[in-house]
Amino acid sequence: MTPLSVTNVVINFDEGLPGFESVRRFVIAASPALEPFTLVQSADGAEPSFLAIEPRLIDPSYASPLAESDMLRLGAEPKTPLLWLVLISMQPDGGATVNLKAPLVINPTTMRGLQLLVPHSQYPIDHPLPSV
Amino acid sequence: MLVFTRKLDEAIIIGDGIEVRVLRIGKDGVRIGVTAAATVPVHRREVYDQIRAANAGAAADPKSLNQIAARLRGAALTPAGQKS
Repeated sequence: MTPLSVTNVVINFDEGLPGFESVRRFVIAASPALEPFTLVQSADGAEPSFLAIEPRLIDPSYASPLAESDMLRLGAEPKTPLLWLVLISMQPDGGATVNLKAPLVINPTTMRGLQLLVPHSQYPIDHPLPSV
Repeated sequence: MLVFTRKLDEAIIIGDGIEVRVLRIGKDGVRIGVTAAATVPVHRREVYDQIRAANAGAAADPKSLNQIAARLRGAALTPAGQKS
C-alpha cells in the first residue's frame, strides 16, 4: 500500500460522525511526535479529538467493502486513492483498542470523508493493540 | 412520533424522496425496503448506536494525544504473533 500524504488538511464529513453529528469538518494531522498515528481533530470547535491509525498497519489484509453509495458520497472513482483510518480507544487498564469495524474513509482528492458503518463487519469494534 | 398502520407492500414517503415499504411480514420480523438517493445514508439503529458509543470512547483530550502516541508507538506495528 502506498501511503497517502494527507496531513494538516481539513476534510469534510457531511454527516459528521455518529455521536458527533454537528461536527462536519475534521483536521487530519500527522507529525513525527505522533507517528505512526494520525490526529483526527474537530475543525469546528475544541471537541472531539481522536488518535487514529491506518488499519493495514494493524492487519495487512484489512479491507472493508465500499458500496457504490459510499463512493458517491466520497466523490470517488474506482481508482481514486483513499485514506483509511481507524480510531483508537484507550482502555482503563492502560491498553488500547482500535475500531476496525467502522473505519474513516477519506478521499483526499475531494476532501470528503465518512465513517463506514458495516452492519455485518467481519472486523471487531475493539481489536486490541498489543501492549508494549 | 408519527405512527402508521401499514399492510404488506404498503409504504410511506418521507420528504420528497425517501420511501419506506413493508416487503414481508414474518413471525420474527418485518422486512423493510428503503428507497432513497444513494447519497442519503441509511443505517440500522443498533449499528449506529454501537459506533456512536465507540466514537465517544475514542474521543480523547488533545493535550494527551502526543503522550498516548508515544506510549503506544511500536505496539501498533507489531501485530500479535508477529513480533519484530
